[in-house]
Amino acid sequence: MDFVILALIMLAIGIYGLLTNRQLLKVFISIELIATAATLNFVMLASPHGLGEALLILAFSVDTAVSAVILALLVLVSKRYGTGDLSKIIAEMQENAEKEESEVEAQ
Amino acid sequence: MIFEILAIGLIISAILALFLDEVVYSVAALSGIFFFTAIIYALSGSLFAAIFQFAVGVGTLAILFLSSEMLGEKQIKKASPAKTAGLIGAGVVLSLPAIFLSVSTKKNLGIDVDFGEALWNMRGFDVLLQALVILTIALGIAIVLYERRKK
Repeated sequence: MDFVILALIMLAIGIYGLLTNRQLLKVFISIELIATAATLNFVMLASPHGLGEALLILAFSVDTAVSAVILALLVLVSKRYGTGDLSKIIAEMQENAEKEESEVEAQ
Repeated sequence: MIFEILAIGLIISAILALFLDEVVYSVAALSGIFFFTAIIYALSGSLFAAIFQFAVGVGTLAILFLSSEMLGEKQIKKASPAKTAGLIGAGVVLSLPAIFLSVSTKKNLGIDVDFGEALWNMRGFDVLLQALVILTIALGIAIVLYERRKK
């Protein structure tokens, strides 16, 4: 049983999910998976020693702060565009940008 | 043997969390990831890491359940059993390399310190700064909520 390979598989699944999922909450879950892979490496490579666990606290606090910021952005974007689908949000953003451009040209 | 079962459970939970259609089910699968990771940490002797993982996991899950209820679509689609079985099979296949292959060569890092020593003697300043940052965030949230209430 090798935890480095396990962490690598988790990382690969997380990156795949990050690149392919269109739902904002699924993107967040992918980021959580990547963070879990990183913390798994932290603990398993230094499990007999306290240093790995002490460093893990830093990883957890960074992970929690990142999660809080991502969730806040996610709620803001969902409220503004009325959907959690990334493709719809991007399409709407492009529409808005085109409208703004045409207004500037008209002026 | 127990680590192999936990690894398979971890990968299956990860795949279900990403590929199930309904966000609420994905969050439920994410709870499996946190659970299996914490059990792996506890069994490998890192009890503090397991406790932190549980604490952080429970907080994240609570917020995610609320967010998925707020942001997700209202009608919940039932996941098809064939798709779920396929995802579980993919999880088992993907966890096989972790069980049968090995790349770790050097397990001992040559650092022999216990958790308390590492936390306070080596990273004491850092830990205090982190506590300060968390306290500032908590105070900031309290101030924002208080101002909102006043309005």
